[in-house]
Amino acid sequence: MVKRIAALAALHALTVGAGPAEAQTGVVQGQVLDGASGRPLANAQVLVAGSGIGQITNSSGRYVLLNVPAGEHVVQVTLIGYEGVERTVSAAAGQTLTVDIELLSTAIALNEIVVTGVGAETTRRALGTSVEVLSADDFELAPVQSIDQVLQGRVAGATISATSAQPGTGSLINFRGVSSVFSPQTPVIYVDGVRVDNDHATAFGTGGEQSSALADLLVSDIERIEVTKGGAASTLYGSDAATGVIQIFTRKGTPGAPRFTARVEQGIEQPELWNILDTRLIFPERVESGEVAETFMRDNYFQQGSVQSYYAGVSGGTADVTYSVSGRLEDRAGTQPKDGSTNYNLRGGMQASLSDNFTLEFSGSFVRHNFQRLYNGAAINDPLTTFEVGDALFFSGASDLHEALRIFLMPDIDEAVNRAIFAGGLSWNIREGLSTRLKVGVDHRTNTQRVIQPIGFTVDDPTGEITRRDRSFVSVSMDGGVTHAWENADGWLGSTLTVGVQGFREDMSLINGYGRTFALPGTNDFDAAALISAYEGNVEMFNGGAYLDEQLSLWDKVYLGGGFRMDAGSSFGDNVDFELYPKATASYMLSDDVGIPLVDDVKVRAAYGQTGKFPGAFSKDRTFSALPFRGESAPRFANPGNLELRPEKTSTIEAGIDAALWSDRIGLNATFYEARTTDALFRVPRQPVTGLGTQQENVGEILNRGVELALNAQLVNHRVLAWSLGGTFAYNDNRIADMGGVPDFSVGGSQKRVTGCWMMSEAGNEDTCRGGPIGAWWVTMPSDTNGDGLFDASVRQFTGGFPTPDKSGGVNTTISVANDLIIFALADWAGGHEVFDWGSVWATFNGVYRRELIRCGTEDGAAAGCAYAFPVQYNTDGTERGRYSQSNARNAFVYDGDYFKLREVSVRYALPEGIAGRINADRATVYASGRNLWIWSRNALVDGELNGLTFGSGLALGSESSITLSPNRTFRLGVEVVF
Amino acid sequence: MKKQNMSIFGTGGRSVAVALLAVLAVAACDAIDPTQVNNPTTTDDDLAEATNPTEALLPGLRAQFARMINAYVVAAEVISDNYSIHGTGIIVDMDEPHEVTSDLVNSTGTSASGVYWNVQELRALADFVINDIAPNDPGAPPALVAEAHYYRGMAFLTMGEVFSNVPHEEDGMPQPSETALTRAISDLQAGTGFGPQANAALARAHRLLGDAGSAASAANAVLGASADFLFAPSYDEQFLGNTPVAFLVLRALQEMQPLPRLDFLDPKYTERDSPIPIAKAEEMHLILAEAALASGNVGEARSHLASAVTVAKSRGMVSFDDIDERRNADLSLRPRSEEILIRSDADSPYRAGLVLNRPSDGLEIPYISGTSLSADSIAGLGGENEVWHALWLARQEILLLEGRRLADLGIKLPMMLREIDQNDNIAEGDPGTLPIVPGYIPQNPRYAMDIYTPLDLYDGVDPGAPLVKSEVTMHVDMNKVLVANNASPFN
Repeated sequence: MVKRIAALAALHALTVGAGPAEAQTGVVQGQVLDGASGRPLANAQVLVAGSGIGQITNSSGRYVLLNVPAGEHVVQVTLIGYEGVERTVSAAAGQTLTVDIELLSTAIALNEIVVTGVGAETTRRALGTSVEVLSADDFELAPVQSIDQVLQGRVAGATISATSAQPGTGSLINFRGVSSVFSPQTPVIYVDGVRVDNDHATAFGTGGEQSSALADLLVSDIERIEVTKGGAASTLYGSDAATGVIQIFTRKGTPGAPRFTARVEQGIEQPELWNILDTRLIFPERVESGEVAETFMRDNYFQQGSVQSYYAGVSGGTADVTYSVSGRLEDRAGTQPKDGSTNYNLRGGMQASLSDNFTLEFSGSFVRHNFQRLYNGAAINDPLTTFEVGDALFFSGASDLHEALRIFLMPDIDEAVNRAIFAGGLSWNIREGLSTRLKVGVDHRTNTQRVIQPIGFTVDDPTGEITRRDRSFVSVSMDGGVTHAWENADGWLGSTLTVGVQGFREDMSLINGYGRTFALPGTNDFDAAALISAYEGNVEMFNGGAYLDEQLSLWDKVYLGGGFRMDAGSSFGDNVDFELYPKATASYMLSDDVGIPLVDDVKVRAAYGQTGKFPGAFSKDRTFSALPFRGESAPRFANPGNLELRPEKTSTIEAGIDAALWSDRIGLNATFYEARTTDALFRVPRQPVTGLGTQQENVGEILNRGVELALNAQLVNHRVLAWSLGGTFAYNDNRIADMGGVPDFSVGGSQKRVTGCWMMSEAGNEDTCRGGPIGAWWVTMPSDTNGDGLFDASVRQFTGGFPTPDKSGGVNTTISVANDLIIFALADWAGGHEVFDWGSVWATFNGVYRRELIRCGTEDGAAAGCAYAFPVQYNTDGTERGRYSQSNARNAFVYDGDYFKLREVSVRYALPEGIAGRINADRATVYASGRNLWIWSRNALVDGELNGLTFGSGLALGSESSITLSPNRTFRLGVEVVF
Repeated sequence: MKKQNMSIFGTGGRSVAVALLAVLAVAACDAIDPTQVNNPTTTDDDLAEATNPTEALLPGLRAQFARMINAYVVAAEVISDNYSIHGTGIIVDMDEPHEVTSDLVNSTGTSASGVYWNVQELRALADFVINDIAPNDPGAPPALVAEAHYYRGMAFLTMGEVFSNVPHEEDGMPQPSETALTRAISDLQAGTGFGPQANAALARAHRLLGDAGSAASAANAVLGASADFLFAPSYDEQFLGNTPVAFLVLRALQEMQPLPRLDFLDPKYTERDSPIPIAKAEEMHLILAEAALASGNVGEARSHLASAVTVAKSRGMVSFDDIDERRNADLSLRPRSEEILIRSDADSPYRAGLVLNRPSDGLEIPYISGTSLSADSIAGLGGENEVWHALWLARQEILLLEGRRLADLGIKLPMMLREIDQNDNIAEGDPGTLPIVPGYIPQNPRYAMDIYTPLDLYDGVDPGAPLVKSEVTMHVDMNKVLVANNASPFN
């Protein structure tokens, strides 16, 4: 122990300077403990105020502060989930002072500071809205690779559906239901104040799977994440935030000696094969003949993947300058051939006090992400689907399955992403109560995708094809404001007024190069082809506005807020100057006035606020497009144009309660909301006689209503054992409130419908119908035209289902044993939605009825009276015609999408100090984790979590899958050492 | 060390520095105005800057004409008895004319099904050029204006041929096909400067209006200009390909499968840029033959029919390596062996030579016109009805994949649902909103015009499955039905 302290002292001397001052200093040490149980608390930050001397407690809750100048000091101790404590201590020169500090846990973190959606830093106590905060402790050692995975199961009311197991893809994230029929529902994401690329379609789809900008957002060294789900909490973001805001804050370091962290993880990935039928059911004749085993795909295609991850970082600083710098490398070999990935990133953050009143912040990161993918989904080049539905021989032209697989694995789909995010901020306390701040930043993301179909690959055109797509995205963000804080002499009235400006500019450029027909193999350049073509696309957009935000505090228990944002944007029609988004909030600490048994704190809150979503960048303009035709440029009508185009507006009214019960051992948050999107942008069709297509117009109205609940309970809080349990639940009802005179139309494929007449209470009476959920399934189904009880025709109808879950939730538990061993588990579920099984549609072409086959156990389920038998069609005279064609009975491919997944389990063990000390480490932790460990699905073929096929950058509703692999089951073993 | 000493600004210099920064910031904002954006496509303002707008827009009309022909041909061939659908690229319900709806057939979901859309877009774009651009373009060459009239005439001709009632202007009442054809004649007359193809279209328009004299006159004008006249502009291999060839050849499922007795003419278009004949001498002879037959002049009809066959057989053949395995949607095998004999219905004789061996390299396929008729077979025809039958068969074979069969069968398609929904003057049930299918088109069983027996011609479904039955009987001979129902517009 002495040796370790000496080492720390030496390090500290290097960084903060020592020498003669040592004689004037003392040591402050001690233990931070849970006030209720006496359990030591790790990871608490202990800081000598104003001195730059600080330390994070180790697994025994211990800290040692060296070189504390003799005299009286305030020691501050903070830890997430606990009330912060300040303690005055007197350090004596050359002596060691022991100060043990007890913290009291808080179930609802009322004093936590939040900045998202408010003009100035505000305590949670004063918030009239619901804002979720995730801290680094929640996910730092979790086996997650992207920001969407971090949020999965951890945020009430978030529906997060992954695309597949393939790298480079991302999830669809949705808060509080679908609020637009044209724009993606992914929330706006800020990293250190920089609005970053969140597009879910940044490259060519490879059969329905697309490359997402979420896949390369940093997940290491995040300090905390704030999540607002729209409404008043997002109003200050104006026309950009109807889908909510995710704000990520990265680490800038804390004062203290340098803290070196090294982390090594090794792991394996296994394909999740719960819904893979393999050759036994699909090619039974090939299995029976002995040509292949019934596990052909398991034996020859799927593989055990591996993952290795290395991280090194250092952080620390003085009272005036803090820093945090790290690098990370992760390399994966996937569970399918050709789907590995490598991710390198470097990042750094620093904060400097330039003077008493000036603070400068800077952070920067660079990510390089290289990955390979296979065709998957709708593409007939997709090895998995073609084998699972029985098309492998037909589409490859091969005569045996091995040869077919060789052919399907010929293409290469490679992508490289380079991404740099820089953020800088300056704040200036002009005088007491008056401060100003400015943040600027940029996200520059480029990706190059190259799809090579070599000579000989396709049967119908074996001459080779190369497609290259380059996308460049630059977003520049700026946010500046002035805050005036004031409190009356008696202290019962306080005011915080902020006025500011906020905006961003986005420039996106696409270039696609394409070459077909190659003479020789081996080239990766498309310009070696006989036929070459190129396309480009460009988007430029500006959106910005000024805002005012006032927060009033009355007796420190009643809080009233109000404000607005005035917004202007380059996408608004020429006749639209500004948009106004108002908000008003109120919260009241009820428990300050009313004593309720077992209740420690109760806050009630209510809010009203508007947010918006701007239209397409150039949708306002009347345009002509042109394509080459026989060597000439051939123009035609393009966008009809709309001078009145404006953002769609979502007005949210919400009310909620935050309560801490049973000595702060139970925390409860409940929020009820109604979000009404008016001026919703529909693509209104022009009469075809005009030769014009559709035009975005503000005609619709969309309604989302729901509830979000979160409950956390500390069931056991003992000195050697702590056990907490948490859960979230959310329900959302989504519907069209007004079609604005536009007829029903399809979104995301022909089978998902936007309708003003979904459910009719009386058969056929359109006066009794109500608007449907966006994307309500609308498919062909058998019908009986002559009333003889036998299906003889087909009609398109609503199934009554929809593709987006209306219920979701998560449950998590943490067990801490002797503070050294921490076991964490997280599960999430969603349901109420229906999924569509394209794989089974394709299989019917080969006479395979997948659901009937596996559910009924026979190829003729109808004869066996099986409920899952594919429907049989009859003639009107009652004679049997055989099975319906797949196109006329699509309802037979729509399944219940409910699922439950055991998402994460991790076990973390902090090695005894003696062992860590042997390598001069301050702390050493070994951990093991697993992700996607177990799936329960109500249907047997389609993963209800997957968004499956998505096309383009617009609204993606998901829940349509071909044969798509669920996210891999991952096991990781890691060691973290902190020096 | 006191913090003040670390300040980068002296106390006095701070305000100066901040003021300086503020001034610089304002200046910088002016230099890099973030609000300015540039729409990368041509806007109205940009169009006003064009120096020769008529000339600039004409290629757009040519391309739109190509799109319209693409859509027209696929819809007409599939809905008629010429082709069946076997696959996923075209909505299978289009195969059965009784099930065609305004929602289905004219959706713009695929280029194949957007015939109404493409007809109206061609008309509207031509309107724009003729009415808004050319009059204000002093440099507009008359030849280009004539060409624009030709395209609008072709839009009206197609409108009148394929649809029963459609509006011709925004919020307009549906106009009967006769009005469309009359407007087509007006535009085509203004478009004769574009070439004999305008007269060929006039012959078609007059024929559809039942005006045998004018039709014959226009047909003779075409033949007078060139005895083997052909107007068949090519497609663009890269950017706007021949749509039928996608469904006949390129797509792995080869979704369009011909009526077995037309197998020897398939696929006709083999390349992405293969031209689709728009006007040709054969059709003029067939119109003359039909006019003669309608007036009871069987001998002259026979002569024109023979001329049509002669011209058709003088056209070239293309050598084609066909990988099409001739499969139904359930992957069972369709007729694909030259040994197969086919009869048009149960009362007709079996005929050889209508089916080719597939898949096969080096198939010889007519790419402009082909027919199973010959000078001898025409010479051997009996009475008037046999000549009528041969005429319908000749139209079916010689004009295969050119879109005429739909109108020959008397079928009219409904307008696009979007037009019904968006035009307050049109309601469901109004003229033009439902398909018109003559009573003589068989309805039972489903796809009655396309089906044949037996289905188990081969032993299994493997690519090499041997032929076990070689006689095929079509369920119905629609040419016989057309004769029996006096289906000619001249009657």
